Amino acid sequence: MTEQNVRELVYRSCLALDREDFDGFLALCDPALHYVVTAYSPEIRKEMTWMEQDLAGMKALLAMVPQHLRRTGSLHRHVSVYQVEAPASDGTIGALSSFLVTHTALDGGSRLFAVGHYHDRIAATGGRHLLKTRRAHLETRDLGIGLHIPI
Amino acid sequence: MSARAAEAWSKPPAVPETHYVSGLVYSDESVFADEKRRIFDRTWHLACHESEVPEPYDFRTVDYVGTPLLVVRGADRRIRTFFNVCPHRGAKIVHELSGNTKRFTCFYHLWSFDAVGACTDIPRQEGYQTVGLKKDDVGLREVRTEIHVGLVFVNLDDQATPLGQYLGKALDAFEGPMTAGKGLEVFHYNRAIIQSNWKAWQETNLDVYHEFMHVLLRRTQMTAAPLEDRKVTVHPNGHTSIAGLRAKYEYYKGMQSRDDRLALPTLRADDFIFGTVFPHVAVLARGTTMRIDVVTPLDAHRTLIEWRGLGVRGDSAEDRQARVRHHNQYWGPFGRNVPEDAYAAEAAEMGFGRGAARFQVIARDEGGSGQDDGMLRAFYGEWSRRTGRPAANPSNAPMA
Repeated sequence: MTEQNVRELVYRSCLALDREDFDGFLALCDPALHYVVTAYSPEIRKEMTWMEQDLAGMKALLAMVPQHLRRTGSLHRHVSVYQVEAPASDGTIGALSSFLVTHTALDGGSRLFAVGHYHDRIAATGGRHLLKTRRAHLETRDLGIGLHIPI
Repeated sequence: MSARAAEAWSKPPAVPETHYVSGLVYSDESVFADEKRRIFDRTWHLACHESEVPEPYDFRTVDYVGTPLLVVRGADRRIRTFFNVCPHRGAKIVHELSGNTKRFTCFYHLWSFDAVGACTDIPRQEGYQTVGLKKDDVGLREVRTEIHVGLVFVNLDDQATPLGQYLGKALDAFEGPMTAGKGLEVFHYNRAIIQSNWKAWQETNLDVYHEFMHVLLRRTQMTAAPLEDRKVTVHPNGHTSIAGLRAKYEYYKGMQSRDDRLALPTLRADDFIFGTVFPHVAVLARGTTMRIDVVTPLDAHRTLIEWRGLGVRGDSAEDRQARVRHHNQYWGPFGRNVPEDAYAAEAAEMGFGRGAARFQVIARDEGGSGQDDGMLRAFYGEWSRRTGRPAANPSNAPMA
């Protein structure tokens, strides 16, 4: 697994979510996926988990998205992979990325929606590079009316 | 039926005046000014949960309809609240959202105050000798603070009815879940500014009929128990509660039924109990976890909403993880329920904000059961009493 493989996987996972290509996104996930969205609250002085899914949970959640009333428009994840670690003893590689997410309304106006960091671990499984764990840590805590899909 | 031209559109609905609301309650600036003065300056406001200031000298800062407040637990463990402004030059003193300190020092001229609001230091105090100003004269402005089932309420009106009398029995159903055993603590807090009048959010909490909007509630709630089992109670002072709701969580893809082992004291895991405190608080318990909403108007068209999630104090890591998951499934910012309510509140603003929509109908009458609009009517009844403006015609103008 090369650094380039890791970067490509991070970017592809975001492109798939941007396009709401949920099957494409799930195809990039390891069977042992653990996806969490976290934030720190200075109000209650606690780390918080705002979403936590394994692969089965993520599949179910994304399958139901079309049936929900939800934010219109589209999201665009702008990601910079800052750091790619050396392989760990289990063969996975960690990556730290920064993300800025913009929301574009149906009428074409765009605004900043959220900022944060991805803390990813990428596994090489069956010759493929797959997302095994992701902690999307949000600096932004006001998400307006919220979101039905992972950040 | 045909579409309506302007005159017909502007005509009030053909239902009793108590059963509809004029759009002016959302958009008229003079109505909003009256709400601030006659409602928010005189009613009890939920500032925080006591677990947010668990130790002596812990503090929280909150903003209440433009008034900065400082909530502090003293060495005597009593929670007090003060205007978070310096009596010297009026600057906001504490800018952190929470913390622990024995001394609050204003950044501007370094006047200091303790946890009971007394001024403890004025640098070069001798400069005030000629006018006789002393530290004892310049303590912080204390705000009435009372606690009920762990909820810290404040009131800007020193003459207001005591909290217990104001609430009556509105939160009785929560006494067991919130106070039995080890009590609860906040594990989740988030806030958002939504583009709508504050009442549009509270209506999502009062309008049972709108569960049709949520696929999650259609699947887990409307099929879980006969709608006739529900019982809406209207309490004095505009508070409301509802009992008899149950959920079948496993009816929604990806969710499982909840383990009774995790049920909050006095509840079953599939119970859903619900209460509102007029004007702007909602408390919801879904068997294993709780949510509290605080709705604060910023202006007539923007609203700050604070959401808290609560679990049992001293939970094991495993139990807490399960409660957080249960909370987030419905209520977190990535939940399946709350973002849809926010969508609805903003959509209502689009209708009422500039006057395109003229009235909303709150006329469902199912005898206080099913999807009765009784909670909405109770809210607007109290709103009308306090503002002195009928919700059906808040400008008191001749009706069309």
